[in-house]
Amino acid sequence: MKNMAMRSQIYEWTNLAPNGTGFTLFRRSTDGTVALTAGTTTSVFIGGIGYNITKPAETTATQFVVIEDVACTPDGGTQLQNGGLAQIRINTTNYFQNPDVTQQDGIPGLAAPYPRGYQNILKTFDLYPDIYVLPGQVWDVQYTQGSQNLVLNTPADGVAVFIKYTLYDGPDALIANKLLELGITVNPNNVDWYKRTLIEQQSASMVGGV
Amino acid sequence: MAMRSQLYEWTGTALFTPDNQSSIFIGGTGNNITKPAETTATQFVVIEQVATTGTNPGGAAANSYSSTAANDGAQMYAQVRINTTDYFLDPDNKPNDGIPGTSSPYPRLLTMQPSFNLYPDVYVLPGQVWDVLVTQRGLSTAVTHMTLQAFVKYTLYDGPDALIANKLLELGISVSPANVDWYKRSLIQQQSSVVA
Repeated sequence: MKNMAMRSQIYEWTNLAPNGTGFTLFRRSTDGTVALTAGTTTSVFIGGIGYNITKPAETTATQFVVIEDVACTPDGGTQLQNGGLAQIRINTTNYFQNPDVTQQDGIPGLAAPYPRGYQNILKTFDLYPDIYVLPGQVWDVQYTQGSQNLVLNTPADGVAVFIKYTLYDGPDALIANKLLELGITVNPNNVDWYKRTLIEQQSASMVGGV
Repeated sequence: MAMRSQLYEWTGTALFTPDNQSSIFIGGTGNNITKPAETTATQFVVIEQVATTGTNPGGAAANSYSSTAANDGAQMYAQVRINTTDYFLDPDNKPNDGIPGTSSPYPRLLTMQPSFNLYPDVYVLPGQVWDVLVTQRGLSTAVTHMTLQAFVKYTLYDGPDALIANKLLELGISVSPANVDWYKRSLIQQQSSVVA
């Protein structure tokens, strides 16, 4: 993986688990929907509902994560649109807040629908600027069920959250930190630009030396 | 033609087994090719787009993820594998099923549009074997009411351009037609300044 220092990554959470109960670490075609009461909030990584992973999402000392997109099933108040909202949490801080600095549930699925276009709902919200997870931080995405209760083993009650992020590792994570320090947006283009600048500086100094 | 845009489309058949990861090149179902996809010593491949059949997680039972109804959707995923390493991992470093068709649907429809863009791209270095593996997590029996598909768009760098692609990789710069051109221009400019 040493040549894959910037990697596009995805994570998809669904409320599907064997027999419609609890969570699963492996998807199966026989999984059924897990019931979820309106207003319930759960971590899409370790919430104990639907598809989960083995430990909280965190960056090591040599990793830098940029969250570029978060989307979820929309809540339109009907069974055809029975989703909710998605909030991003870094360590213990929720990213999206109300103007009075009180807590809110995050991005509505109606603004960032997953999938895009279903029931003719298109994207209103673009996660820009992106969200940075610095080395050593823990991050999470918390899904809050909207106005509809989800019923056990009911195909129409499947909901999902989609996260697209870029993982910078090793030297690229160092450059990402450097860009952050310089106040420049961390994205693959800017990391490339920084590398090119370094190379051009090196070439110029070599030519000057000759 | 030292840099060439290439594509591959796979269409599955009813023989496709749910829950099994299958290669779109040599998996034994749907259209296949004669041997695993690999690069020679003078080739460099950049995979730029991977898409597969999209399904909605819920809403209408006729096209939803879960498998209790007879007419469920496909819930397809596509993973990229280089040699023996899976590209897409969960945050706990465990390989997952890959890109959901729901986020990168093929075909794209007005009601099913992409959320995912494969950027940065995936590199296949000279001498590596690469594969795209599809998994169907929807209906627990063979899908007969819809077509399972996958689509891959990649750029093949050959000969001198593959050498430049390697050089860019060595310098830690993204391999793209624009950067290959930039490197060529830099070489020409350096040469011109030496001549002058």
